[in-house]
Amino acid sequence: MATEAARFTLSPSRRTRRRKLVNFAMQGLATLAALSAVAVLALVIVSVAQRGAKALNWDFFTKTAATFGESGGGVANALVGSLVLVALATAIALPVAVLIALYVSEFAPPRIADLARLVLDVLNGLPSIIIGVFVYGLLVVGSGQAAWKGSFALAIIMLPLVARATQEVLALVPPTLREGALALGASRWRTVLGVVLPTSVGGILTGTVLAVARAAGETAPLLFTTSIVANTVTWDPRQPMLSIPLSIFQLSESPDPADHARAWALALVLLSFILVASLTARTLLARSRRKLER
Amino acid sequence: MRTVAPIEIAQPHEASLSASDREAVFETRGLTVSYGKAPAVSNVDLSIYRNLVTAIIGPSGCGKSTFLRSLNRMNDLVPSAKVEGEVLYHGQNIYGDGVDPVEVRRRIGMVFQKPNPFPKSIYDNVAWGLRVLGMKDDLDGRVERALTQAALWDEVKDRLKKGAFGLSGGQQQRLCLARAIAVEPDVVLLDEPASALDPIATSKIEDLMHELKNDYTLVIVTHNMQQAARVADLTAFFTLERTEEGGHGVLVEYGETPKIFTQPADRRTEGYVTGRFG
Amino acid sequence: MAEMRITFQEELEQVEAALQEEGDFVLRSLRAAVNAVEAADAELADEVIAFDDEIDKRYFEIQEGIQSLLARQTPVAVDLRLVLAMLHSNLHLERMGDYCVTIAKLTKLVTDVEPDEGLVQAFEEMGQRAEEMIRVALDSFQRRDLEAASSLVDLDELIDRANRRAVERVLDFGSDESKREWGLRMILVSRCLERIGDHAVDIGEQTAYLVTGEFREFTDASHPEGS
Repeated sequence: MATEAARFTLSPSRRTRRRKLVNFAMQGLATLAALSAVAVLALVIVSVAQRGAKALNWDFFTKTAATFGESGGGVANALVGSLVLVALATAIALPVAVLIALYVSEFAPPRIADLARLVLDVLNGLPSIIIGVFVYGLLVVGSGQAAWKGSFALAIIMLPLVARATQEVLALVPPTLREGALALGASRWRTVLGVVLPTSVGGILTGTVLAVARAAGETAPLLFTTSIVANTVTWDPRQPMLSIPLSIFQLSESPDPADHARAWALALVLLSFILVASLTARTLLARSRRKLER
Repeated sequence: MRTVAPIEIAQPHEASLSASDREAVFETRGLTVSYGKAPAVSNVDLSIYRNLVTAIIGPSGCGKSTFLRSLNRMNDLVPSAKVEGEVLYHGQNIYGDGVDPVEVRRRIGMVFQKPNPFPKSIYDNVAWGLRVLGMKDDLDGRVERALTQAALWDEVKDRLKKGAFGLSGGQQQRLCLARAIAVEPDVVLLDEPASALDPIATSKIEDLMHELKNDYTLVIVTHNMQQAARVADLTAFFTLERTEEGGHGVLVEYGETPKIFTQPADRRTEGYVTGRFG
Repeated sequence: MAEMRITFQEELEQVEAALQEEGDFVLRSLRAAVNAVEAADAELADEVIAFDDEIDKRYFEIQEGIQSLLARQTPVAVDLRLVLAMLHSNLHLERMGDYCVTIAKLTKLVTDVEPDEGLVQAFEEMGQRAEEMIRVALDSFQRRDLEAASSLVDLDELIDRANRRAVERVLDFGSDESKREWGLRMILVSRCLERIGDHAVDIGEQTAYLVTGEFREFTDASHPEGS
C-alpha cells in the first residue's frame, strides 16, 4: 500500500537536510573555538620559548645577578627563593587544608559545613594583593620582610585550593565504605585515618600540585613581604628572598637587554613548571578516580 | 545414596527451636524509628534468639532495613534519625545513657547489600578491623580462620596480598562477611546480602548461613521471600501501613518459617507470601 | 563444582528415609496380619491394629515434611518429581497399612472357626507375594530402578490369580453353614491382600514417573490389553 510505505519511509526529507546543516555548523563552531584556545596557548609557549631560549645557560641557573657593568650572571637567587617560599607555604597550607576538609566532610553538622564551604570559596576569590597587604599589616610592619612571611601569604592563597580539592575527593569516597568500617566497631577517627584518607591521597596530591603551581606564579602577595632582597642566594627563611615572578618583573624593568632575555628565560622556566605540574595533577587525579570507581 | 537416620523429619529444626527456652539476644519494645517527623517503622516488639537465623521480609518501604540498622545503631549516622522505645541487647538498652555506639558495633557486625570491601589487599581487609580493635595476636591465624569460615580461604590463599577489587562480586561479599566475623561479634546483621549477586553466589552465601548460625546469631533482611523460606528458622513479616502522612512500617507476624509459609496467621502475611499483594 | 543447598538435600533424604521406614513398618504389619489369619490368633490381630498408629504417625510426619519442603525449598525438576512421588507413595503405604488392619479385624470376627487348610495355604502364598511386591516397590524406588518397578506388574498378576483361586475355593464350601460365614470373611481378606498388591504396583508407577517424568499407568484397568 503506497500510503503505508510513505508513513514509514526512512530516507532523508527536507527537514532532515536542514537538521544536518545545523548540526554541521554547530560542530564547526565548537571545533573552531577549541582550536583557538589551543592556538593561544601554543602562541604563548612559542613566543616565550623563542625569546627566552637564548638566555638559558649554566650560569643562568647557578649565578646570581652580575654586579653593575659586568656581563653574565643568572637568576639563581630567584630560583632558590621560589623553591623555599613555595615549599614552606605548602608545609603550612597542606596539613591545615586537609584537616579543614576532613572536618567539613566528616564531622561538621550540615549547616556549619555549608558555612565553611562558603568561607573557603570567598577566600579563594580574594585578590592576592589584598592578602599581601593583610600579611604586610599583620607581620611585616615594624619587623621587616622575611621569606617565611611571604610563605604565610602564599599559604593563605593555597589553602582554599587544597581544601576544596580534598573535600571533593573525600566526597567521592562512597558512604558504604565508611559504613563498612564503622560497622566493625571502629571509631570515627580510625575510620577516617585508616580507610577514608588513604583512599583520597590521590586527590589530595592533585590539589596540592595545582596549588603549588598557582603559588609559584603569585607576585602581589610577595611584593609586600619579601621583595627587598640582597643579591645573594640564601636558604634562610628569616631573610627576605627573591621569587621568580618578582624577578621577571625586576629584570624586565632593567635597561640591559641581556636582562630582558633573562626575564623571558625565567618566564619559560615558570611556564614549563606550570605545564608539568598541570599534567602531573591530571594523571594523579585520573589514577585515584580509577581506584575508587571499581 | 547415603542412608540417613529418619529422625524428626517434618520440621528439620523443630528439635532445635522451641524459642521459649532459648536465650533472647535482642528484645525490642515499642521500637519506633523516624527520619525527621515521619516514622519509618513503628512500635515494633520483636525478639531475636541465639544461634538462629531470623529473616525480616516485607514489601519495599516497610522499614525492614531501618529496623535492622537500629539493632547496631547504624541509624545514628543519619542526622535526622530519631529512635523511640527500647532495644535490649542481652537485657541492656543500647540506646540508653552512657552506652557507646562504637562498643555496640563491636559486638554486632553488619554485611551490606552491595559488597563494600576496603581498597586494600584481601589480607588487609580482614586484618584492618583486627588491628584497630586490638586483636593483633596471631593475626595470620585469625585472618585464615575468618576466611575459612566464610568459605573463601581456598580461593584466595595464594593471593592474599592482591587487591580486594580483583575478586568477583560473590567473593567480595564473602570477604565482607569474613571481615565482619574476624572480629568475633556476637551477632551478624545482613542487609539483603545477596541481592547484588548471581544465583550461584547467592546459593553459596545461603549455605554459609547454615554453618555460621552455629557460632553466631544471624538476622537477615531480604526482599526475596523464597530466600527467607530456604534460610531462616524464624521469619518476621513487616508491612506498610498507610496514614495521611504517607506510611510507616509495622510488624504483622513473626513465627517459625515453615508456619509462615504454609499457614500464616494473618491475611496480610498470606497475601504477601502468595504474591497476591506486593 | 562444589555441592550446594546441602540442607535441602539432607531434608529430601530424611523424608525419603522416613518413607522407607514406613514401608518397613507396613511389611511387619502385613506379616503379622497374615500370621494372625493363619493361626486365628486374636491377640496378634490386636497388635496389628495397635501398630497401625505407628504407620499413621509416620504418614502424618512425611506429609508435613513434604508440605514444608514444597513451601520452603521450591523444588523443581527431579527434586519436584521426587517430592510428588513421595507424596503419592506415602498415601499408598498408609492405605496398605489400613488393609492390614482390616485383615486383622476380619480375623478377630472369626477366631472360633477352624481355618481351612487350603485357604491358609493360599493366603500364605498371597501374603508372601504381597510382601515381595512391597519389598520390590520400596527397593526399586530407592534405587530408581525402572526395570524392577515394571516387574511389579507381573508379580501382581500372580496375586490376582491366587485371589481368584481363593474365591473359587470358598465357593466350593457350598452349603456348609459354619464355613460359609468364615468363607465370606476370607474372601474379603483375600481382596485386601490383592489390593495391597495393587498399591505396590502404584508405588512402582511413581518410581517410573520419578525416573522418566511421564505420568503413566503400567496397566489400565479399563484397557487390559494396553492402551
